[in-house]
Amino acid sequence: MSKAKQWTLMIPGMALLVLILAAMPLVIKAGDGGSAIQLAWSQGAEAFKGYFAGIGDGATFRFYMGSNQYLFWDRIGYYFKTSLLYVTSGALLGTAIGIFAGLYFAISKRGWIKSIIDFLGSLPDFVFILLMQFGIVWMASKTGVVLFEVATLTSDDPAIALPLIAMIVIPANYMIRSVAMQMRLTLTEDYIRNAKARGLSRTYIVFYHALPNVLPFVKGDLHKLMGIIMGNLFITEYLFNNKGVTMLIFTNAFGDAVYQYNVVVNGLLSFLVLYGIGYGLLRLFIFGLRKVFVR
Amino acid sequence: MGKTLIAGIILSSLMLLIAVFGPLFAPHGPKDQVKIEYVVVEGGDSYVYAPPISPGKDGYPLGTDKDGYDILTKLLYGARYTILLSLGIAAARLAAGGLIGMLLGYFGKPTSKKSSGSSVWSVLNGIPTFLIVWLVMLGITMNPAASPIAMSLLLAGVLTLLGIPSIASTVREKTIVLRERQFVTAAEALGAGRWKVIGSHLLPHLKEAFLILLLQEVILVLSLFGQLALFHIFVGGTTEYFDPIEYHSRTNEWGGLIGQARGSFYANQWIFYSPLCAYVLLLISLHLLSKGLEKRYNRMFSNFSHL
Repeated sequence: MSKAKQWTLMIPGMALLVLILAAMPLVIKAGDGGSAIQLAWSQGAEAFKGYFAGIGDGATFRFYMGSNQYLFWDRIGYYFKTSLLYVTSGALLGTAIGIFAGLYFAISKRGWIKSIIDFLGSLPDFVFILLMQFGIVWMASKTGVVLFEVATLTSDDPAIALPLIAMIVIPANYMIRSVAMQMRLTLTEDYIRNAKARGLSRTYIVFYHALPNVLPFVKGDLHKLMGIIMGNLFITEYLFNNKGVTMLIFTNAFGDAVYQYNVVVNGLLSFLVLYGIGYGLLRLFIFGLRKVFVR
Repeated sequence: MGKTLIAGIILSSLMLLIAVFGPLFAPHGPKDQVKIEYVVVEGGDSYVYAPPISPGKDGYPLGTDKDGYDILTKLLYGARYTILLSLGIAAARLAAGGLIGMLLGYFGKPTSKKSSGSSVWSVLNGIPTFLIVWLVMLGITMNPAASPIAMSLLLAGVLTLLGIPSIASTVREKTIVLRERQFVTAAEALGAGRWKVIGSHLLPHLKEAFLILLLQEVILVLSLFGQLALFHIFVGGTTEYFDPIEYHSRTNEWGGLIGQARGSFYANQWIFYSPLCAYVLLLISLHLLSKGLEKRYNRMFSNFSHL
């Protein structure tokens, strides 16, 4: 299959997947009389049809927040911008820090930093965020200095720094570990020994012999990295109460106690767009790195 | 054996003991509750004795929650869901994914492209698992009629299914590398059947990788438990109370205890931090175990850096 063909198949495929996934809460229900689940296919199909029928008269793009009705297009801009900031900075800075710190850790002899990074990497994202918040609160209660805001209480005064740190550190950590591992494997190769025997400097070998051979693995890992970033986006926005796309989905999934299929689908589609933008930027970044270091 | 490995083994077996025999050590019953009392002391002073009781007071080593239940007891009763269930899910994922991966790797055609970076499967890798589980469980998790065990098994089934593809692809890659090795060719030349090759040549070589994969999967499952709990989807179902809306875990699974106590972030912090500490301790012990094993295997098998 050619690449263009793959992409043209993939985009409608992903949209369809979103439509199906969003119908899950309607289809999978608690069963009557003690049975765990029952499947209500008809409800899912109805919501599915309703979504397309509503595109014409705009019903698809109206949703309830509490008991007030809103237009999706009016609200999404603000939410999207917030998430975009987190996703792009998490993707780019996380990868940049990850690659270069990973190179450093692959050749450094300092074991304890590596152990700390490894350990932080095994902690789930939400534990990391909770510990950061706890640290700030603890410091504030001991010294009275509030370093960063712990959560967004009003939308005029959003917490920005701490969520950004969380969004950058967690993917960076994954990247560091993955690059360091690939780098260590690459450094055992014979061409590295050959380069060393020719008297090339350490820095030169690392950047011009080893790094170009690590970059393909980084490229192959980008989807997984984006998965981590996007999963992290959910947790970060939720724990800091920031108004981003994922919070739009969570807070409005049940508007007025009824499951709002439309807003979940629209939210998830915007989420996919975010994913695409983040992924595209990363590919560009890797392309740039290859231009510099591969000859 | 390295120090990391020893520490990991000791801590992990301790956790396993707690999971199996936890309720035997519980200082209180799971239903014992501190009730609000109005106490009059000699001399006419009086005070209201009400939960939450802070840690260390009146025989509650970790304190009680807002409803007056002992937190240590809750943790000990919930441990089996957290530890045994995550272990079970990881093992099921590994068994199914490992088998599929080995079969695909051994019988499948070698792919011409080295790693197709933009194939549909790798994009699916990018969808957070937790989002899918959230959508699947959203309709059934609140006040379910089914028993906590049935609900836990249901969640376990969903989590197992979603975890199989990633393991299968990891194992497949490893199998493809092994398949090219000379001992496989030799075995085939000597007339070994395909299943014989898988059973006595591939599996023994993947044994170490499987063990480490198992531990990492346990950690992944545990983090999923926690993430889901933040959004009020608890292992074994969620009891939702109205007026005011409160979410309670039916099984006292540790992630659930963290999730339901998020309101105690600023005040009565022990309600929140006790389960969080237990959960992090569990992660630390698993991490140490997996790192220790990795180091040991590296010493046994790996090449060394030239720089």
